Amino acid sequence: MEFDWTIALRYREALLGGLLVTLQVSVLGIIGGTFLGIVVACVRAMPGLFARRLAITYIEIVRNIPALVKVFYLYYVLGFNAWLAGLIGLAIHQSGYISDVITSGLRSIPREQTEAARVLGCSYPQTFSFVLVPQLLRLTIPPMTSQYIEVVKNSSIVMFLAIPELTWQTQQIEFETARGYVAAGIATLLYLGIALSISALMSMAAWKWRRAI
Amino acid sequence: MTAVTLGEATPEPTDDPTQASDRRQAVIWWIFVACVLAWLGWKLSALNWALVWRVSPLLWQGYIVSCLLTLVSVALGMVFGIGLAAARMSRFAPLRYLSMAYTETVRATPQLMVIFWIFFTYPVFAGHNMSPWTGAVVSLTMIASAYLAEVIRGGLLSVPKIQSESATVIGLSRSQTFIRVLLPQACRNMLPAFITTLITSFKVTSLVYVIGLIDFFRAASLINNRNFAPATLYTVVAIVYLITCFALSRLVGLLDPKYKLQ
Repeated sequence: MEFDWTIALRYREALLGGLLVTLQVSVLGIIGGTFLGIVVACVRAMPGLFARRLAITYIEIVRNIPALVKVFYLYYVLGFNAWLAGLIGLAIHQSGYISDVITSGLRSIPREQTEAARVLGCSYPQTFSFVLVPQLLRLTIPPMTSQYIEVVKNSSIVMFLAIPELTWQTQQIEFETARGYVAAGIATLLYLGIALSISALMSMAAWKWRRAI
Repeated sequence: MTAVTLGEATPEPTDDPTQASDRRQAVIWWIFVACVLAWLGWKLSALNWALVWRVSPLLWQGYIVSCLLTLVSVALGMVFGIGLAAARMSRFAPLRYLSMAYTETVRATPQLMVIFWIFFTYPVFAGHNMSPWTGAVVSLTMIASAYLAEVIRGGLLSVPKIQSESATVIGLSRSQTFIRVLLPQACRNMLPAFITTLITSFKVTSLVYVIGLIDFFRAASLINNRNFAPATLYTVVAIVYLITCFALSRLVGLLDPKYKLQ
């Protein structure tokens, strides 16, 4: 047994390509998941029992099925292509968790904020976008950071649809060289780098919006 | 639609059957549910249930494997998790940093990658491949221990400081304080987070697909490779995961009525 680290150099293009695909999948998954999560949270915050129960049922279903099953279902049963199935699956999977973050954010904003805005004559959409959203952005940054890191982690399951992202490339290198630990080590460092960059970016956002009350 | 219900610093509004509007909406809700169930029943009846019946022993075997894997990895993960949490709170700085590095690395890496670490590195040392069962148990335990370490640490931090101070005052040593005073109270506080981790562990078992252990998900996809029926098999898989995880999530209300879900 000897450790052969030159494989990392030989396969640097595969690993870098994998990193780029992972970033693409993650960014699209983050955007889709956040959008869907906001929609679900808004439905849940609507007055009345019907909308609330609808949103809660959606959240329970989404949270209790593994992301892998969702992606396979979209791909094999509903017949989406690999990329669409992966992205939609990731977005739906995370929307269940993100909507919870946004719901608790909305609830932690004092009721007076909304009432004051309504008294001043803001319409409902105006109240939402000019009063609630700015506060929401600041309140939800710490939980959102972990949600976004979760999306990056879950992006590895699209390897089962043969999308050449970082985990898929790692497995490929193992198949070709039987020295997968090198690739796995590098890939781990790259994933850690992505996670650290996300939390750095979110801290910068928190600093920028620190006065957005 | 009023905006007032948005942005209230209050707990979630509960269903109030005495209100006329809620009563009306409850009727609409149940009609909606009945319609959806009828549609689902119609869709489900079109599936190939004869096949499901024929392969149900295989699916059941896979399901048992998934459950066993969850139980073993969470039980072992709990042991290592307590160790990691204790190390994280120790006075010896290198131990603290080591535990932190391990926990944070595992938590920031995809679970598949952790499975790969074990499965790719072992042959280099041992010269032969790891059995899928061992590989799955080791990697899932590593994942569970990192997540549980954070859960336990959260529980420990939620115990009021006066508890450990009082324990010191009455003459308990640091380890006695940890085992006899802090840990029991932490266990009670961390119950909801523990159940969440249990559910996550059950869902993560679907990833051992990659190392060839025949768990519930892989059993279904192997059957699908042989007799092509993705709609039937993956629907059954989704329903079984949904029911199992939902039942687990209700467990917390059963174990401690304080956490009864509405």
